[in-house]
Amino acid sequence: MADKQLQLVIVTPERTVFDEPASALRFPLFDGQIGILPGRAPLVGRLGYGELKATTASGEKSFFIDGGFVQVKGAVVSILTARAIPTAEVKRSDAEEALKKASALPGTTEQQAATKAREIERARRLLTLAH
Amino acid sequence: MAKARAIVKRLKAVKNIRKITRTMELIATARFKKAMDRATEAAAYTKKISEIVADLSATNLTFTHPLLKAHETQTNGILLVLTSNRGLCGGYNGAVLRPALARQKELTGPLNLSVECSGRRGLAFLKYQQVNVTEQFTNFEDKPSYDEVEAIANRYIELYCSGKLDRLDIAYTKFESVSRQKAVVETLLPIGSIGGAADSTATEKKIDYEFLPSAGEILEEIVPAAFKARLFKCFLDAAVSEQIARRVAMKAATENAGDMIKSLSMQYNRARQSQITSELSEIIGGAAALEA
Repeated sequence: MADKQLQLVIVTPERTVFDEPASALRFPLFDGQIGILPGRAPLVGRLGYGELKATTASGEKSFFIDGGFVQVKGAVVSILTARAIPTAEVKRSDAEEALKKASALPGTTEQQAATKAREIERARRLLTLAH
Repeated sequence: MAKARAIVKRLKAVKNIRKITRTMELIATARFKKAMDRATEAAAYTKKISEIVADLSATNLTFTHPLLKAHETQTNGILLVLTSNRGLCGGYNGAVLRPALARQKELTGPLNLSVECSGRRGLAFLKYQQVNVTEQFTNFEDKPSYDEVEAIANRYIELYCSGKLDRLDIAYTKFESVSRQKAVVETLLPIGSIGGAADSTATEKKIDYEFLPSAGEILEEIVPAAFKARLFKCFLDAAVSEQIARRVAMKAATENAGDMIKSLSMQYNRARQSQITSELSEIIGGAAALEA
């Protein structure tokens, strides 16, 4: 009896944001999108920034996820992320401010440049979801 | 009559105080419940993190990360003290500040120690003790948010990784159970172990994970996340413990006020009775004098 459903659990340090069955998931890993269907082999991965889409019984759910980790274990998919914002609540003004802040970061040393690139990437992803 | 009046006045004042402390107790109870819910919800994240760490350690990986490594020369240290913004919470702040000050004295010699403090109560105390506080936070009430804690954590991580910080201690009240909270001083950096649940894997069935990118690179990311979660937990623990301490203190105050009201009304009744008796005996005495 193959699992026809995934259990999607999104946890942030503050609370469990989402805990519902889903039939398919799409979200960004550190190097690109990944799709997860029921019956996926166990996986631990690093998340990128961007949109998490889940097909659930009550329709399509969408969140902005802010880095972190994913763990697939049996039918349970756990997303550990610093922030998970429902896409409908992502504000354009916030995203623009984040991009401005990211662009203003110093990028003189190698480490700083990496941080800056990451922040800009994050802000851009946020901006594409904003409305 | 004068004495009875004075007692009535005191009685009224004590009754007022009882009303106030009773209300504060109720508020603290409500806040405690909320803080407690937050803390239990936050526990899910820490649990998951240690689960992944346990999975990682099952791959026989050697843990190397700048945050895990103790620096060879210890020159700079930070002591973070978590206290409350408000008073009227019994021994809560005193219990944290006592061991904190002891640790500060102990570390000041060998290390170039800077003290950081959250909470107005602690700031006032440290100022009185003439301890120089380099960084102060008063924005943490009963609901510390992750964003604020993360900002602090990021600063520590950066300082530690760049070698400007060799040791981070934190003094806070650890929440053990609803009836037990303990003021402790813990060393957060270097991180001793990020596992905690690592030994429970032996009983579990081993799962062969696919790691994306690699176990090593995931570890590199998970160590800071574990540190942030741990620091956040300290703040949450402190917030919950503060509300418990306040509830207990206010409960005791309400009970004391009740006892005081009892003894005061007894005194008042006695004063009134003796006044009536003396008036009566005066009248009888006067009548007897007229008859004679």
